[in-house]
Amino acid sequence: MSSPAAVTSRAATTGQRTGGWRAWATNNPKIRMFQTLVRREIWEHRSLWMAPLAVTALLLICALLTHGALKIDATDSSEWLDPRNKTIVFALAQWALTIPHYLVMILLLNFYLLDCLYAERKDRSILFWKSLPVTDGATVASKIFVSCVVLPLGTFALALVTDVLFTAIWNLRAAIGHAPELIVWDTVAFLKTQAVMFLGLVISMLWYAPFFGVFLLASAGLRRNVLMWVTVVPLLAAIGERIAFGTHWISSLIDYRWDGIWGSMRIETALLASIKNVGPAEVVSIPEVYDRVHVATAFTNIDLWLGILFAAACAYAAARIRRYRDET
Amino acid sequence: MTKVIEARGLRKSYGRRTGHSTPALEDVSFSVAPGRIVGLIGPNGAGKTTALKAILGLTSFEGELRVLGLDPRSRRDELMRDVSFIADVAVLPGWLRVGQALELVAGVHTRFNRARAEQFLRRTDIRMRSRVRELSKGMVTQLHLALILSIDAQLLVLDEPTLGLDLLYRRQFYDALLNDFFNAERTILVTTHQVEEVENLFTDVLFINHGRVVLDSSVEGLAERYVQLTVAPDKAAQARALQPFYEREVFGRVVMIFDRPADRWQAPLRPAAELAALGEIRTPSIADLFVAKMEVA
Repeated sequence: MSSPAAVTSRAATTGQRTGGWRAWATNNPKIRMFQTLVRREIWEHRSLWMAPLAVTALLLICALLTHGALKIDATDSSEWLDPRNKTIVFALAQWALTIPHYLVMILLLNFYLLDCLYAERKDRSILFWKSLPVTDGATVASKIFVSCVVLPLGTFALALVTDVLFTAIWNLRAAIGHAPELIVWDTVAFLKTQAVMFLGLVISMLWYAPFFGVFLLASAGLRRNVLMWVTVVPLLAAIGERIAFGTHWISSLIDYRWDGIWGSMRIETALLASIKNVGPAEVVSIPEVYDRVHVATAFTNIDLWLGILFAAACAYAAARIRRYRDET
Repeated sequence: MTKVIEARGLRKSYGRRTGHSTPALEDVSFSVAPGRIVGLIGPNGAGKTTALKAILGLTSFEGELRVLGLDPRSRRDELMRDVSFIADVAVLPGWLRVGQALELVAGVHTRFNRARAEQFLRRTDIRMRSRVRELSKGMVTQLHLALILSIDAQLLVLDEPTLGLDLLYRRQFYDALLNDFFNAERTILVTTHQVEEVENLFTDVLFINHGRVVLDSSVEGLAERYVQLTVAPDKAAQARALQPFYEREVFGRVVMIFDRPADRWQAPLRPAAELAALGEIRTPSIADLFVAKMEVA
C-alpha cells in the first residue's frame, strides 16, 4: 500500500496535467474502485438509464404532436387558457410531466434492489466477483449508492430537464400557432414546483428506506422467488394474523410505513388549503403547497431515523450473508 | 522460507442441519512452499473443491489454516489482493463485454497488468466489443485466464481450469501458465481429475480421497519412493512376496507398484535391484499412482 502522502503527491503531479479532482479520484485506489463498482452496475442494469431516457423521448414526442385539448371535470380549454390561471396550470403541467419519470423510477428501484444480489448468485458470477479484491461491504454499498442516490438524483435531474424541454418545444409550437398557449413559463412557480418534487423525493427515499433494506436483504438471502416472498408473504402474514388472532399489527405497520410520514407533515391540510378552482375543476396549486408544507417536521420524526437505522441493519446483514454464504 | 499455505487438521461436513452429515474434509493437513506448482488430485466428491474453498475463504471449516500468513476466514479481504482464482469455468457474467471486463479488473485490482491481458487476448479470436454470452465456452475460459494471469498474484488457485475445453485450448492454457505466469515467487494450486494431461506440470502432488490426504509428495519424492514393476506371470508370486501395495494385469503381464518408505528398506539401491531382477522397473506415472492409491482406498 502506498501511503496517503504518496497518493496525494502523485495526484498533485498528474492533477496539473489532467486537472482537478478527476485525476485525484483516479489515483486514489479506493475511489477508483468505487467508481468502477458503480460503472459495473450501470453496465449490468442498463434499464437504469435506458428506461428514463425512453420516458424523456416519449414525453418530447408528445410535446411535438399533442394538441393540448384538455377537458377535465367539465373544465374546457378556454378556462385552462384563462391568464388568471396561468401559474396554477403551468405548475400543474410541470408536476404532471414528472410523474412518468417517478413511476418508472419506483419500478426500477424496487426491481433493481430485488435483483442486484440475487442475479450474481443465479448466474454463478459471484465467484468471479469474489475473486477480485473487493469487500462485500463495498459491493453492497455500491448497489445502495446506485439505487438510492444515483437513480433518484438522476431521475430528478432528467425530469427537470424534460420539463424545461417540453415547455420550450410547446411554446415554440404555440409561437407559430400550432398549439394553445397553455404552458406559460413562470420561474418562481417552476422553482417551487421542482422544490416540492425534490423534497418529496428526498423524504420518500428516507422514509421508505426500510422497504429498500428488506428488498436488498431478500435479494442477498433468498434462494428463489424473491419477488413473491416480498409481496405475497407479507400479504398472507397480514391476512393470517387477522384470521388467527383478530389483530392487525402487520397491516398497521405496513400502512404506517406507507404513508405515516405524510400524515406527520400534515400534507393533507397543505394540499386542501392549496386547492384552487379552474372553472368547475378543483386543482392543487403546487407553489402554494411549497409555501404551506412543514418540511422540518419530516426530519424531526424519530420514526424516519429509526427506519433508516433498520435499513442500515438490513444492508449490513446483506453484506454478511454475501460474505459467509456457501451455496454448494 | 515461510509457507504459502499451511493447513492443520481441517475438517468440514455438509448437511449438519438435515441430520445426516457428510464429511467433506476429515483432518486434512498439508503445506505448500513458495514457487511450487501443486496438483490437488482426487476423484469427484473427494473434497478437493471444499479444500480450495477453505483456502479462498469461501466456506467455513474447523482447524487451522494460514494462507500467505493470513486466516482466510477472518482476513479474506486482505488475502484477495495477493491471491487470484478461477473457481469454475464460465462464471463470468453473460452481460459483460470483453472491454468492460478489462476496465473492471483494472479499476479494482492494483496489481492488474492491462497491457498484458490485451496481449493475451490478441492471440485469440476474442473481440473487445463482444459480450461474454456471445463467446464460445473455450473463448470465455481464455478471457477469464487472460484476466487472471495478468494479475501479479502470489498464489493462483485453479479449480478444474480446463474442464470442457478441447485439447488445443488445454495445451495453450498450460503453456501460458508456465511461460507467462509462473516464476520462483509464485505458487500455483491446481485441482483436476484429468491427471494424465498435467503430469509434467506439477512439482508436487497432493492426493485426496474421502476427505483425507492419501499422498503428499514432491514429484522427485515420488521417484524415490515408488517403483512400478512389470513382471511376467511366472515371476509374479516371487514379486508379490516383496509386498506391492497394488497390482493389476495388463496384456497378460502383471504390473505392481511398490511403496518403499525410508524406514522400510534402508539401503536405497537394494530393493530396486531386487525388483529389477524380476522384470522391468520404472517410476510409476502420477496417473498410475493415482489409480493405485484410489483403488487401494
